[in-house]
Amino acid sequence: MLDEADLERYSRQLVLPEWSGEAQERLQRASAMVVGLGALGSPVAAYLVGAGVGRVGIVDSDDVELSNLPRQPLHFTSDVSTNKALSASAKLALLNPTVLVEPYPARLGRMNAEMMLDGADIVVDCSDSFATRYLVNDTCCALGIPLIEAGVLGFDGMAMTIRPGESACYRCAFPVEPAPEAVPSCSEAGVLGPVAGIVGSIQALEALKLLAGVGEPLLDRFLQIDGRTLEQTLVSTSRRPGCPACASVPAATQSA
Amino acid sequence: MTLLDLTGVACPLNWVKAKLALERMEPGDELVLLLDEGEPLESVPLSAREDGHDVRVDGTRVTIVKR
Repeated sequence: MLDEADLERYSRQLVLPEWSGEAQERLQRASAMVVGLGALGSPVAAYLVGAGVGRVGIVDSDDVELSNLPRQPLHFTSDVSTNKALSASAKLALLNPTVLVEPYPARLGRMNAEMMLDGADIVVDCSDSFATRYLVNDTCCALGIPLIEAGVLGFDGMAMTIRPGESACYRCAFPVEPAPEAVPSCSEAGVLGPVAGIVGSIQALEALKLLAGVGEPLLDRFLQIDGRTLEQTLVSTSRRPGCPACASVPAATQSA
Repeated sequence: MTLLDLTGVACPLNWVKAKLALERMEPGDELVLLLDEGEPLESVPLSAREDGHDVRVDGTRVTIVKR
């Protein structure tokens, strides 16, 4: 239920003709997991917590480094050497104390991925490696959890929304997993902060839309954005028969 | 008929409260609002009409018929 303070806190989204008290209550009942609290995860977690998603789990095993600060606005200079999930959770608790923020200072890997993501209504993948991205995709497909994927490198970004069993998954769109040494992770390559901010904001928007049941999600398409020109392209994609991640997933298990 | 006294409640919170009250009502039901002059009286009836409801304004008393 929305109390008086909720009505005031969320008034600017509640006044939207597309939004409703019911949509806001759906957010309040929802549980989201954000994987990675870096350049994408910072805006994602801030917007989900700010908007009033009931429970937001945040996973990151890394510590804050000085070189993270230009593009990871949840972390401050005094947080250097602090775990990112813990650093982020301290700011998120101040942003919106009515949300249950659960920090997991752990690495999401093959052994714990199902356990960590199970029970979430939505997963937002803000990780910075292809290995984790494919693992999160495969786990969400197996569990039937809607997923917002994204990546940024340099001035370029991409984002896509996935409803396993209903729309193309990340592996359908990008079936060939790059060899680990073939692609520099963004910790080695450059990235300009606002590009990640834009793409993370798109992820947050998609997550809120799915949870509230508002608007049209970015299904069976992925968005490419070039920060140099702000040129944006929507590329159509579709489910791949025999996709090892999602081909055998029934569509009905979705919660969001 | 439901009466909602929104005097002293600023924009956009007044419309938020009216909108949530409308959500709980049936089509054809009437919601009567008491509003402050100025911005509230200018913008709340406008928002209600934009959402497709019938609106009557009588001084600072605004009647909304849920669509």
